[in-house]
Amino acid sequence: MGELTARMERASEGEMRETGRREFESLEGMSDACVRGVHHLLLACADTKLLLGYHYGEWTFGTPELEAAVASCSLSQAEFGHVRLLHALLDRHFGDDPDALVDRRLPHEFANVGFLDHPVPDWPGFVAANYVVDLAVTRVLHALRHCAFRPLGLSVEKMIDEERYHLHHGRGWFRTLAARGGDDRRALERHVRTALASVAEWLGPPDEPEDRALVAEGVKATDNRALLAAVQHDVAELAETLGVDVAVAPPRSFAGWTPSNRRIGGGGPDEEILFHLRGAKNAMYKLS
Amino acid sequence: MSEERVYEVFARKSHDEELKHVGSVNATDDDLARAYAWTLYDEERWVEMCVVPRSAIIQVLHRGRVPVWGN
Repeated sequence: MGELTARMERASEGEMRETGRREFESLEGMSDACVRGVHHLLLACADTKLLLGYHYGEWTFGTPELEAAVASCSLSQAEFGHVRLLHALLDRHFGDDPDALVDRRLPHEFANVGFLDHPVPDWPGFVAANYVVDLAVTRVLHALRHCAFRPLGLSVEKMIDEERYHLHHGRGWFRTLAARGGDDRRALERHVRTALASVAEWLGPPDEPEDRALVAEGVKATDNRALLAAVQHDVAELAETLGVDVAVAPPRSFAGWTPSNRRIGGGGPDEEILFHLRGAKNAMYKLS
Repeated sequence: MSEERVYEVFARKSHDEELKHVGSVNATDDDLARAYAWTLYDEERWVEMCVVPRSAIIQVLHRGRVPVWGN
């Protein structure tokens, strides 16, 4: 596990050293494609963390053991904390109102990993979200550690520090369910494959123009294709030791994919999930 | 099948303070023991936290009827 974190750090540092880079205290001086890329990437990470926080919170009372309940609650709080950090950046640099980002967008305007669009039906599904989806966002954060856009680079360290324990939790449960065999193992394989396919879709097509600009201008250390390969490698490496089959074919076509929605066929989180996330039911009790 | 085992949790609040036993967690492997210890015992601003499988603790002496670590 420590080795996985160290590998992510080496990847971001090594690639950044090779970039002849300038630093940005604000968006001024960046190319238009890079500015759009930063905006879309921040939204994609914030939306994914928002949905992860929701699902972790939902499962707090459904975990197979007490320690996992406490862990799920803590994971949820951490993700919502990260959303606040990312929303603060979106507010300061793009004028996005954090309340509007949660309360006043349509489902198809969300850019989260699609695996989180629907209720997570069982514990193996939770583990796939925790290990595969959370890992993918953490891989992106690691690629931002030495970000040329300094306000973003300064925000990611805290998140990376906390994400270490999310990975421990995901890996530990992946191993536990794989070792149990039977239905648990089969469900784990199925959910992990779906989650990996969903992450591949979220990271987008090869050589995507905004992603290319982010790497060229030193915002991101590695492009999304390399990040996908790294996530697949991380998951396959553990799966192989346990005899779990997680091979998935990459999307055949990215027709219809945009960096603002990050889905091939459109769509977004279920209305009911957004209803609960927005606390609409509690709003009636709010003191004016 | 993964067997659950007990891990003892040790932590300290500053580098010039000794590690103290703060509790224990049940987990099927070291990764989960780390995650559970971090989320269960996060009441302080620890600078270091460790987990040790209870079975790895080698007893030197115990005078009571029940060993302190129970193994």
